[in-house]
Amino acid sequence: MSSFVLQAKQLTWSVNNIDVVKQVNLNINAGETVAIVGPNGAGKTSLLKCLYGEHIQFTGDIYLNGKSLTALPKKEIAQQIAVVSQQSNSVFNLTVLDIVAMGLIPHKGLFDLNTDEDRSRINQALVKVDLQHKQDQQFNTLSGGEQQRVLIARAIVQSANILIMDEPTNHLDMYYQHQILALAKQLNITLLITIHDLNLAAQYCDRMIILHEGEIVADDIPEHALNQEQLASIFKLNCIIDKNPFTQKTRVTFAGINEFYGEKNE
Amino acid sequence: MSKAIKLPTKKLPFTWLMLIIISIVFFTLVSSVGYGVAEIGYQAVWQCVTQSCEKPIYDTILWQVRFPRMLLGFVAGFGLALAGALMQNVTRNPLADPYLFGIVAGAGLGATLTTFLPESVQVFSLPLAAFLGSMLAVVIIILILLQSNWRRIEHLLLAGVAVSFLLSSITSFILYTGDAFSSNRVIFWLMGSLARADATALLWILPVVIISTTIAMILGRQLDALLLSDESAKTLGIHVEKLRLITLILCAAITAVIVSYCGGISFIGLMIPHIVRPFVGITSSKLFITTGLIGGCFLVWVDVIARTALDGQEIPIGVITSALGSLFFLALLRKM
Repeated sequence: MSSFVLQAKQLTWSVNNIDVVKQVNLNINAGETVAIVGPNGAGKTSLLKCLYGEHIQFTGDIYLNGKSLTALPKKEIAQQIAVVSQQSNSVFNLTVLDIVAMGLIPHKGLFDLNTDEDRSRINQALVKVDLQHKQDQQFNTLSGGEQQRVLIARAIVQSANILIMDEPTNHLDMYYQHQILALAKQLNITLLITIHDLNLAAQYCDRMIILHEGEIVADDIPEHALNQEQLASIFKLNCIIDKNPFTQKTRVTFAGINEFYGEKNE
Repeated sequence: MSKAIKLPTKKLPFTWLMLIIISIVFFTLVSSVGYGVAEIGYQAVWQCVTQSCEKPIYDTILWQVRFPRMLLGFVAGFGLALAGALMQNVTRNPLADPYLFGIVAGAGLGATLTTFLPESVQVFSLPLAAFLGSMLAVVIIILILLQSNWRRIEHLLLAGVAVSFLLSSITSFILYTGDAFSSNRVIFWLMGSLARADATALLWILPVVIISTTIAMILGRQLDALLLSDESAKTLGIHVEKLRLITLILCAAITAVIVSYCGGISFIGLMIPHIVRPFVGITSSKLFITTGLIGGCFLVWVDVIARTALDGQEIPIGVITSALGSLFFLALLRKM
């Protein structure tokens, strides 16, 4: 049996005969934090959707803890993979408690009622994300950072061993970007995160996968994955790579569009 | 449609709320039978319920006329309100209503087709024809949805509206070209009434409503998962398309069987869930049971108004629910 918790082999996913994800090979180890980065349209979200079973019409293979994903019941996948997707607002104003309690769904049968243990799990999750005082507040009235924390609390209740987060730092200010990623790291489970900010990815992730036009062009620790020439080519912007003086982690600084084309014209 | 419906942050504990609602139900069931053309005081009603009636005529009026009618009103109101709550939650559309399926239009077509039958069998065949017409509408919609990309909720709602207009236009054509007397009967039936209340009506409607309520309560947790988004529900292991199809069939069955006997009673499914949500919240199980109970009481009182507002004449209940519903609809749109 494979030692990887999540594995993709020759994974291709197409829409309207266009390959959005191309021949991707991916191995995720237990407890690892992996960032999937790349420009808009690189196929990051599509790749994630294949990995958690939302896109099923793919070619190639995906294995979850050694078992083929397509052969697993949806409920079993949900018991092992929790997903925090990009911000979603419901037209009905659900409370924080309503959403966090949804984490119990994959573990409950049709006739099961909530037990004291379930309520304690929900409460512990709310304490962990520091939202117990807002449990009766409506989800739609929370800030972007708080909404992400609610979804993380739902994932905690879901008790999955893999957490997939699709651009969790979008629309958040600096403080909340760091808060969300630090919180996810504290869970000590396998994390797979798509993110636009390369520096945040380098700071919080053990490994970076760079996706470009549906293909993996780099898969390594941040120091090695972030290559100046490759990044300049992928993002069409000149850049320099150095160390963040606070964290000593790899840091990328991009030039503006004029600087890049100016240099190119010379 | 993007703004969420606001709920008060502090809610009454559910147990207390249920006690209040059960008291309202009890009060409704006992007191509503006292109203009607023949005035029977509360004391006489209470005596009939607890001992035996003071006069034999009270016995006939209460137990053979008003009680079955009140019971039918309660069960029909319960079913229509439940179907509305189910539709709104499963489509995440606060303006959804079971009638969007074209069920009333289908029932109307079925009822209209009975005008071609001999007059002696029309009275008996009308509910059956209406039921078959309702099911025709549902089958057409489900076939359309299974053929196309039916993952999108908008397709479901638009398919319902399209089928509704199609069936209504056929009905209008038949009524326009048909016999005036039979047409009048169908038009009056479409306005809704509980006058058909008898054991057969209850025998058909009650089991459907009870079974549908039970299934809806069992599926409550799964239906809750749909409230955020389809994608979110799928990540929780929910078979979204299958769950939505089951729920739609439940709504269709409830509405079709009620419409067959009671005609077109509109807007209850739209109104009642909105009235109840601020007190019990959004999640399914609590919403379904409370919406049903309040919907039942609402229709019983609407029927009381229908029977007593005009001297010696009954107003079709569909007229009253439509009038109230339209005003409510406008108020709801203003709030959104």
